[in-house]
Amino acid sequence: MLTRIKLTLKQHRFETIAVVVLCLIAAAAALGEAYRLNSIQLPAGCVVGQRYMFAPDTSVPSTACRLATDRFYAVSNGTDMGLVRYMLLGLLPFVVGILFGAPLVAKEIEQGTAPLSWALVGSRRRWLFGKMLAATLLIVPLLLVAGLAADVLQGASSPGLDPHASFENFASRGVMVVFWGLATLFGTVALGTLLGRTLPAVILALVVCFLARGFWEIGLSRTVLPPFAVMQSENPQDPQNGQNGQMMYGQYAWTPSDLNVYYRTYLDGKPWDGDMNAWWNEHQPPMLVDPSSGLPVGVAVDTGTSPQIQGPYSVPFVIHGDRYWPIVALESGILLLGSLFCGAVALIWVDRRRPY
Amino acid sequence: MALGRGTSTGTAALAAHGLSKRFRKKVALDGVDLTIPVGSVTALVGPNGAGKTTLIRVCMAFERPNAGNVEVDGVDPWKHRGEALRRVGYVPQKPAVYGGLSVEDHLAMARSLHPGFDVDYARRRLEQLAIPLDQRADTLSGGQAAQLGLAMALGTRAKVLLLDEPLANLDPLARREFIQVLLDAVRAEGSTALLSSHIVTDVEDACDRLVILGGGKIRLDCPLEEAKRTHRLTDADSQPSGATAVGSFLGRGGQKIMTLWRLAADGAAEGGDGGVAIGGVEPTSLEDVVLGYLAAGRGSAGLQLN
Repeated sequence: MLTRIKLTLKQHRFETIAVVVLCLIAAAAALGEAYRLNSIQLPAGCVVGQRYMFAPDTSVPSTACRLATDRFYAVSNGTDMGLVRYMLLGLLPFVVGILFGAPLVAKEIEQGTAPLSWALVGSRRRWLFGKMLAATLLIVPLLLVAGLAADVLQGASSPGLDPHASFENFASRGVMVVFWGLATLFGTVALGTLLGRTLPAVILALVVCFLARGFWEIGLSRTVLPPFAVMQSENPQDPQNGQNGQMMYGQYAWTPSDLNVYYRTYLDGKPWDGDMNAWWNEHQPPMLVDPSSGLPVGVAVDTGTSPQIQGPYSVPFVIHGDRYWPIVALESGILLLGSLFCGAVALIWVDRRRPY
Repeated sequence: MALGRGTSTGTAALAAHGLSKRFRKKVALDGVDLTIPVGSVTALVGPNGAGKTTLIRVCMAFERPNAGNVEVDGVDPWKHRGEALRRVGYVPQKPAVYGGLSVEDHLAMARSLHPGFDVDYARRRLEQLAIPLDQRADTLSGGQAAQLGLAMALGTRAKVLLLDEPLANLDPLARREFIQVLLDAVRAEGSTALLSSHIVTDVEDACDRLVILGGGKIRLDCPLEEAKRTHRLTDADSQPSGATAVGSFLGRGGQKIMTLWRLAADGAAEGGDGGVAIGGVEPTSLEDVVLGYLAAGRGSAGLQLN
């Protein structure tokens, strides 16, 4: 098996080198950006007060804090950071998976080498398993390195927040990068095996990855995550907590490390399924009309004689950052199941398809 | 299993029974019945699109037949692929090699894929041809790449060798070398070879049996000598006695229309002891016989000898 792994990597020399270079560049870039942020040595209090604007105290930050914060956000919101975070780290598992997965079988079929191997091997499944194992052994450690570097970057971006107790960018860092990469790899291998052509497999894989990543959080928020979510506010019926359906962040337990899962509408402290706009239209204060012109001039001002109206309001249900590992394990498990399913499809199909 | 699995019937290294294969509406093989005896070197000849490659691909379990079955050394490759492939050495149509791998890597890969692969045997064959083992396969000449493919097939020490037009892209010298290596190996190992080609002159000296395939059907299947002995060539419509016309084609130089006739019985016996008067001349080459059958398949005299 070792010989086959070695020969697979040698046979896919270009892909191997490209994957290694990409992962190392991504990891180095993440660590570089993290170093830039850390070197500013921003106190944690400055960040929270400035960034999220929900600090209960309204004290004006010190000049030193403001200067440091400005420098911090110049780096944090800069083009370089965007490039590293969204282009390199965000796309890395998909690029790596597609780059190695698409040609694994399709290239053999296109270049006419599949008959050579398939004539020698008793079981094509064993043949493909060896190739997939080689690809897995290559990309898993590389993506893990990049994912851990992304964790370091996340830690530097949010001083005071433990990246392993925060859901900020959690899908594009840490072990999630590895599992996204694996799912992409096996999915693309399956597409390459089904189509037998590299370029169509790449194009289709790009579309599938775009859709899968785009709908991933929405899909999970509607299926497996709700049981883990807790109400953001301890006391949703408290009038101070809601105003015209909008949440005020001041007194809430919500922090940037929380994962927002879904919203539920409440009325009078109880879950309510009605139409919020219709309710407010119905309960609008009466419109004042100028008797001479007949035109509206404003709404009636509550003088305190009528009871205060508290309408329906939405309350977010979130998963707190301290549940980072269970949620990461859950999502990684789902991705792993998807990977195994795609791998099984490839293994079944390779046994049936023509080698040309 | 129809024939003793794992043990040859003793006479057939490869047998096809009513084998049919269609690709949508195109019929590639149409009820092919074929028996390749053990130890023979058989030329599988036919024009492009005759079904030669399809027949070999069915034997390799690359294609599933629509009807009938094939047995390689007594094993149905579609039902028992792993077992069948252990008995077959295969050389594909194009000399397909892994560009990034060296010659030695190819042998190592073959060893890792095929437990019985004899690396030393294959290596020796390549060394005899002065093919550098450390050379990258994509820098080999066409002839060297074909020899690598043959060495990989021979290294399996398989009982049956299936060669799918391996000579098509080779120069005359490389073709001759290839045939020689093949024949040496077949003689030494006592294996059976089915060599497909549409270049008749290449296989004439190498093979002892001829199968002509045209339009998905077997047009002729007999020993090479018998093919010559039982056919006559005439330059007119005069019919040799006891013969049926096979096909007419434009003769050498484009001067005359030649007609190939098949004798009712063994021509040698009739022309000799039987004393039956038969006209025409024996085909001077295997190509005459093949052209007659191919012309019959096309229904025209549009073929010309080179």
